[in-house]
Amino acid sequence: MLHIVDDEEVIRDSLTWLAHSRAIPAAGYDSATAFLAALDGDRPFDPQGECLLLDMRMPDMSGAVLFDTLAARGLAQVLPVIFLTGHGDVPMAVDSLKRGAFDFFEKPFNDNKLMDRVQEALAASRQAGDQAAVQARVAALSAREREVLELILAGKMNKVIADELGISMRTVEVHRAHIFDKMNVKTAVELARLLK
Amino acid sequence: MSLPAFHFGPPARRRPWQWLVPMLLVLLFLITLLWLPRQAQQMEATERQEQLIADTLWVEQTIRFQLERIEDSVRLMANDVAGGYLSGKRLHERMAVLARSNRELARLAWLDAEGRTIATSDDSAVSLKSLSAASRLASERARATHTPQYAQPAPPPGMERPILMDYHVPLFLGERYLGSLVVTYSLNSILEQMVPWWFAQEHEILLTDRDDHVLARRAAGGAGRGVYTHSRDLHLPYADITLRTNSVKSAPRLLPNLLVGSVIALSLGLIWSLGALWKDINRRIAAEGALREQVAFRTAMENSLVTGMRARDLQGRVTYVNPAFCRMVGMKQEELVGRLPPMPYWVPEAVDEHQHRFAQVLAGTISPRGFETIFQRADGTRIPVLVYESPLVDDSGRQTGWMGSILDISDRKRFEDLNRRQQEKLQASARLATMGEMASTLAHELNQPLAAISSYTTGAYNLLDTDAARNGQVNIDLLKGALEKANAQAQRAGHIIRSVHTFVKRRDPTREPVDLAQLIDSVIPLVELQSRQHFVVIQTEVETDLPQVLADPVMLEQVLLNLTRNAIEAMQDVAPERRVLRILAGRDPQTPANVSVSVIDQGHGVPSEVGERLFSPFFSTKAEGMGMGLNICRTAIEFHGGALGYADNPDGGTIFRFSLPALTTGMQPGAKAVAESAVFGGK
Repeated sequence: MLHIVDDEEVIRDSLTWLAHSRAIPAAGYDSATAFLAALDGDRPFDPQGECLLLDMRMPDMSGAVLFDTLAARGLAQVLPVIFLTGHGDVPMAVDSLKRGAFDFFEKPFNDNKLMDRVQEALAASRQAGDQAAVQARVAALSAREREVLELILAGKMNKVIADELGISMRTVEVHRAHIFDKMNVKTAVELARLLK
Repeated sequence: MSLPAFHFGPPARRRPWQWLVPMLLVLLFLITLLWLPRQAQQMEATERQEQLIADTLWVEQTIRFQLERIEDSVRLMANDVAGGYLSGKRLHERMAVLARSNRELARLAWLDAEGRTIATSDDSAVSLKSLSAASRLASERARATHTPQYAQPAPPPGMERPILMDYHVPLFLGERYLGSLVVTYSLNSILEQMVPWWFAQEHEILLTDRDDHVLARRAAGGAGRGVYTHSRDLHLPYADITLRTNSVKSAPRLLPNLLVGSVIALSLGLIWSLGALWKDINRRIAAEGALREQVAFRTAMENSLVTGMRARDLQGRVTYVNPAFCRMVGMKQEELVGRLPPMPYWVPEAVDEHQHRFAQVLAGTISPRGFETIFQRADGTRIPVLVYESPLVDDSGRQTGWMGSILDISDRKRFEDLNRRQQEKLQASARLATMGEMASTLAHELNQPLAAISSYTTGAYNLLDTDAARNGQVNIDLLKGALEKANAQAQRAGHIIRSVHTFVKRRDPTREPVDLAQLIDSVIPLVELQSRQHFVVIQTEVETDLPQVLADPVMLEQVLLNLTRNAIEAMQDVAPERRVLRILAGRDPQTPANVSVSVIDQGHGVPSEVGERLFSPFFSTKAEGMGMGLNICRTAIEFHGGALGYADNPDGGTIFRFSLPALTTGMQPGAKAVAESAVFGGK
């Protein structure tokens, strides 16, 4: 879903319309505060598969400040931000780009190119969302299981792993079963593809 | 003015020898004056002495002559007596006649050989014994020598006076001594009878013996002074009688003394006056030196003056011009001094004006504050000058003419001109800067509707490009809504451009009735361009029934824009909820005939040290500011007869307020401004 944060009502409306015309669901917020409220609201949305179209210049809290807030909350990776900048705000936008923004568009922009980029952002967000899930699963492993995982990914046989870690074959097998179970995979090949 | 050729070096050394000659001459003169009387005195003394000697000689001669005459008479008588022809009564008569006719004779007597009296002139009894010793001696000598003999004068025996001198004439008949005739002279009588009175008046005459015993004395004119004296022996045998004269005149003293005294007095006077002259000359030299210095100083001052000075007498004739004036009009001093109007530096076509002013000067009605006029230089170029005329009054308080100071104000004029042109240029640049700023704002602002239009139309195109559309299934209402919105945005963009165009359009200032409410309304879109950038909320409050003002709407718009821009910029660092810009229009509370507009911000306010210079040109608190904004605003408001000021906002920030005279019903709306604005009337 595309979240549009812009203080200009006309811009919100027209961009929403444009997004709809490309079958992208979109929602508008008239200020950064409003967006943060929605983010932390009663119905918290999963940032996965989302994109933020952010006007750089806004009263109260500017787009850059909102971006920094999001980055501080670790949402910058999963919630790609595309800045919309006016004339003269480009350096600020470039700076944001360096700090992890997805892209920026200087007004006036080519609308469909913007929408293309929005779709790419949405895809990236989804993929980043998957990555995050895998990482979460890896994080759920015990320390020993992670050691075993490393060696499995290195393509070593159970026997070799047992020797290297100085444990029994049986224990390695138990760890392996746990890892496959926690990582929700059936085979080592599947595991390797997931952690590629 | 033709100044005497002064040497401006140190004054010439005084030469003492210049004084030596007159002083020597004076000294010489004094010496001569002192010497001359002395010489005269001596000459006079000599003359007197000579005169005295001559007189004395003459007196002696007279005495001698008389004595000799008596001697002769007596000798004749003696002969007659001796001859016996004369005796008795006849003798006596003869004797008496002789004695009477010669008063110096005291007595005549015939004494016989024994010394007894035979006959006398006065019948007195005389004997030889009654005669003095000297007389007796003379008698014997006469008897012995047979010649008459004078006796040494002496008083009669036993007496002091009178001193008598006897002349014994021996009488011999053959060898027989018959006695002698004794003629007795009184010495005093000799002097009385024989010396003329005028001589006696001037001299003390003495007869003395050899021992300087005074025998007789005549001093009719008083005692002698002993200055001029002479003595002369009478040369009587055996009678040493000296005639001494002693002038009663003293040495010639009085007259020469007076002369010398007056000479000395005059000389002293001369020396004193010379000294006074010397002092006076010294004083004059000192005064001259001071004067010379003064003149040098004044001349130097006059020459170094850049102000032209021109003196005229009461007829208007130029009596003096200083070098600065000559330089100013490019003419020589000689060409100007003595000239009567019309002056060569008058501008030919404005001679009437010059004449008129000249008449004013002569009448003394010219303003002491001076007047501006144009002078024409000798080369034909013209210079604007500022002339001050003031009466020229001499020591005695009498006005002798007019003194004019002339300032060449070409530079000032040039500067003013330059200043004005620069001001115009600055205003043009200020306008350009405003426009530049506005262009940036405009770009941003136009971006919004254009972006929206683009998005709407792109979206519409996207809808039409879908498979559903190709199959004829298009949601018309959806498209319509989008296109309407796009149209609205296009209108908005047009409005923005139109309002900018109105502002940018350059033209001469006009005066037309302006409705402030409309004016504010028309400015608001432009103000919003900025306010949106800075997220400032605009509130306007315009009183109802506000009278119109006679003004140039564009200029007022510019003022409002300037003030609102300042207000907006003043608030860019304050909390967003305080970013409120209020524009109030209403009747001026202080001057109800005026209409005032206030632009109120809640920004950082104006510090007092900034306030002092707030309206000065080129003063700005902004890094990129030119400092012309408020200056132009004030000029523009003042051009409309209003006033622009500021006050602190009680709620924080600043209130800028300008007030303009309201258009009264009597005023003709639409009356064009007559005055061409020097400030805003561009070229």
